[in-house]
Order: sequence, then C-alpha cells, then structure tokens
Amino acid sequence: MNQTTEDFDFQVRKAVYDVAMQRGYPPTLAETSSLLHVTPQEVGRAFQRLAAGRVLVLQPENGEVLMASPFSAVPTPFLVQLDAYSCYGNCIWDALGVLAMLKKDGRIATSCPDCGTALEVRVANGSVQAKQGLIHFAIPALHWWDDVVFT
Amino acid sequence: MLFFRSEEHIDRWCRTWKVARGGTLSLDQGWRLALAWYGPDRRDAAWRRKNVAEVEALFADIGLTSGFWSLRLPESS
Repeated sequence: MNQTTEDFDFQVRKAVYDVAMQRGYPPTLAETSSLLHVTPQEVGRAFQRLAAGRVLVLQPENGEVLMASPFSAVPTPFLVQLDAYSCYGNCIWDALGVLAMLKKDGRIATSCPDCGTALEVRVANGSVQAKQGLIHFAIPALHWWDDVVFT
Repeated sequence: MLFFRSEEHIDRWCRTWKVARGGTLSLDQGWRLALAWYGPDRRDAAWRRKNVAEVEALFADIGLTSGFWSLRLPESS
C-alpha cells in the first residue's frame, strides 16, 4: 500500500459515508474492499482504527459496521423516511442527524418508550416540527462512550 | 436518546425502569444539536471529531449547561 495509514483510513471513512448517504446504511467489509480495490483484511483493520477513534461502532462478532453515525446498519425504533429511501438512525438525535447530514426534508417515525404511542417528527424547509415530544438522555455526557450502543 | 410524549412520560418511564432522570431537550434543541454535530461533511479530508472544548461550547450555545452535560471528570476532593 503506497499511502499512509491516515490517508487510507480517510479513504475508508469517505467510502463508508459515500455509501451510507447514498442508500441509508453503511457498506459491508466486502463492499468497501471492492470499492477501494483492497483486501477485506485491510479494510477490517481500518474499521478497527476508525472505531478506536470513535468514528465508527463495529459489530463485535464480525467486525462489520454497526453504526456510521447517524446511520445504523440494523433496524432501530427510529425510522427516517426521505424521498429517496427510508433508513434507521441510532437514536432520536441520530434520526435528526440523518436529515441534518443529508440536508433534506423528511419524516421520523418512532414511538413513546413509556406508552407506545406513535410519534412523528417532520423536517420541512430546514425546520423541525412535531405535535408533541421531548428528547431524554439517560446517560450523562461524560459516559456516553462507556457503552455507546446502550447510550 | 429516546423521544417521549411529554415530561410525565419521561418520569414514568424512569420510575418503571429504575433509571435516574437524565437530561431533557426540546425538539428544537435536538435539531440544533443534530445540525451542529452532523452538518460538517464527514467525507471531507479535513473533518475530525469535535474536541471537548468544542462540544462544551456547542452544549452551552443550545442551553445545555448543567453538570449532566459536563465532559470533564469531577475534581477529587
């Protein structure tokens, strides 16, 4: 590899976000290695470094991306609906983050964790709208990364 | 971070699950946080994670100033 580790990690980060922003969820190791014409092992090591730098969160069992925030690789209670596709945010902050990152209008469908009532948030013309709702962070900010999946 | 119908529902959920009441944001504050956090393009070579001082400034800008939002370890007595 005729480039620095830092340069390679940037290429991997860019590929992950190119794909996630285009389709709503991050690429696999195999997809990323194919895109960059490198081995899955090289991509896997870059994923690990990006996870150590808190840029990605990986699935512990296979090293695939779980979160390329705000995008989730797996279904969550925070469905984001855009004209081009629907996808999942990792939490309500990230669901809003998908629309902020893409600079698109859209709709977030979730439900109240207490009573199950369906809740909707809309972003239109860059402004956020909802009939009701409050965001609650259970974990103090200092400890968000102690267990980021729980957070 | 979850989205509740109201303060009453947050309180009841915390009691039910024996979770300490945490920090609450209005939807507008959450949107401002999302714009600031995720607005910068992560495909840009110059992108980097915000440092502690930058996050503290962002929290302060949207009114998140209580100890719950602190990113620094409390000083030991």
